[in-house]
Amino acid sequence: MNKQELILKLKAIIKPYTTNTEAFDNLTEETDFINDLNINSANLVDIVLDIEETFDVVIDNVDMERMLDVKTAVAIIETKLAAK
Amino acid sequence: MIGNDVIDLIQTRQESNWQRKGFLEKLFTAEEQSLIAQQLNPERMVWVFWSMKEAAYKIYNRQTRIRAYMPLKLVCSLDSESSDCISGKVSCCGNLYFTQTIFTPDCLHTIAVTTPHQWSTVTEIEKKNIEKDEYGIPFLFSPLSPNGQAVSISHHGRFEKVVCLSA
Repeated sequence: MNKQELILKLKAIIKPYTTNTEAFDNLTEETDFINDLNINSANLVDIVLDIEETFDVVIDNVDMERMLDVKTAVAIIETKLAAK
Repeated sequence: MIGNDVIDLIQTRQESNWQRKGFLEKLFTAEEQSLIAQQLNPERMVWVFWSMKEAAYKIYNRQTRIRAYMPLKLVCSLDSESSDCISGKVSCCGNLYFTQTIFTPDCLHTIAVTTPHQWSTVTEIEKKNIEKDEYGIPFLFSPLSPNGQAVSISHHGRFEKVVCLSA
């Protein structure tokens, strides 16, 4: 899976939790889940769980702490996929 | 210092499924999960603990400027419980925060402070004359506090609460 495919899959995961559609449509690697997409912090755990299911990886607590923006989420998923 | 978190329980039912596999394990310590499981109303306890963590995190974030999604490092304990209020504590990385959660059937509001004697000075205010710093942390500006006073804002669904400590 290349990075573009990975970001597309990630976008599909975060879409249902996003309330700022304009920021979602203009999503970049710099986009912040809470500050830009207005995602409720209680839903960040759903994104983490959806990532685990979609990519068949395990996100530990240390990784979850940093899971606040697209760039970090992509880096964490890439690292987990490479280690498989 | 002060932090708060409000939860619209009706909206929460639309936004979150706390019974989803893995949800409780990622957000709550083994002891918190055990207390949730013992409750007649486990749903309410889930959101009481969550709002305690959120209110305490707002103080931790103001104190350290550290931003992280670290629910398991915010460890809740309960001190007393009545029909409409739960008092407790949240510890986080060597810091201790004191919390009070007031609830109605469709709303929870937790306030966290750094020392118990601050309880008598907690004041709910209007959302005006508030500006955020470069970390997104809100301050209230007034003639009495021209350099900005710590204020905490929480908004969820139909509810918004703004609180500060009066001098």
